[in-house]
Amino acid sequence: MIVEYIQSALLLIAAFLVIVSAVGLLSLSKGTKNAVYARIHIVGVFDVACIIAMIGLGQYLLAGIYFIIAPFTAHAIANAFYKSEDVENNAELNEVEEEIDESNPFIHPKSKIEKLDEDFSEKLKADDRFTFSTLDIVEEE
Amino acid sequence: MDILIISKYILIIAFMIMMIAALRASAYRTTSMGLLGSSVAVVAFAVALLVCGDLYNFTFFRDISLALIFFGFVGTVAFAVVAGGDT
Repeated sequence: MIVEYIQSALLLIAAFLVIVSAVGLLSLSKGTKNAVYARIHIVGVFDVACIIAMIGLGQYLLAGIYFIIAPFTAHAIANAFYKSEDVENNAELNEVEEEIDESNPFIHPKSKIEKLDEDFSEKLKADDRFTFSTLDIVEEE
Repeated sequence: MDILIISKYILIIAFMIMMIAALRASAYRTTSMGLLGSSVAVVAFAVALLVCGDLYNFTFFRDISLALIFFGFVGTVAFAVVAGGDT
């Protein structure tokens, strides 16, 4: 009799945690920063609820297996998101690689142009022999 | 009605809600959210199958739920490794 009460208490706790995690999974607003990590964190609550439910049902081996493998899943998903899609935090995803085509005479890499520009401006400052003037030519002349 | 049976039914309803929430979550924009939602849906189905098997005595329900949990984990990790690039 007492065992049944304990089992039902465990199942009810699991049901409560599952509903809470379901609400939390959907109620995160769209503008939330790092929303995917927050959802992975919420799924951790669901994992614990599943383990409690398995213990309440008497499936101890399954509960032990799931207790071990659940963190691996969460970490794998978070790692995949960080490496492939997390533009907010991963600076490597924001870098754009320039394709340099040496054979094309009209396209040059940005760094090369900037370096040439700097050199040329220093030369202009040092060399003031040349002056530019404009002549006004009237049609009558 | 026994309190244990009532709590099992409540748990099944909770898992149904969770499966719907997981399907909605898997429809978000990023691939990782799809992975997360499908993983949650599979686990929710496996545990709901455990509860249903306990109630109605399905054959092989423990084995099926063990397979769902284990191969769901393997598939999720494999897809995450492919999606995350090298290392």
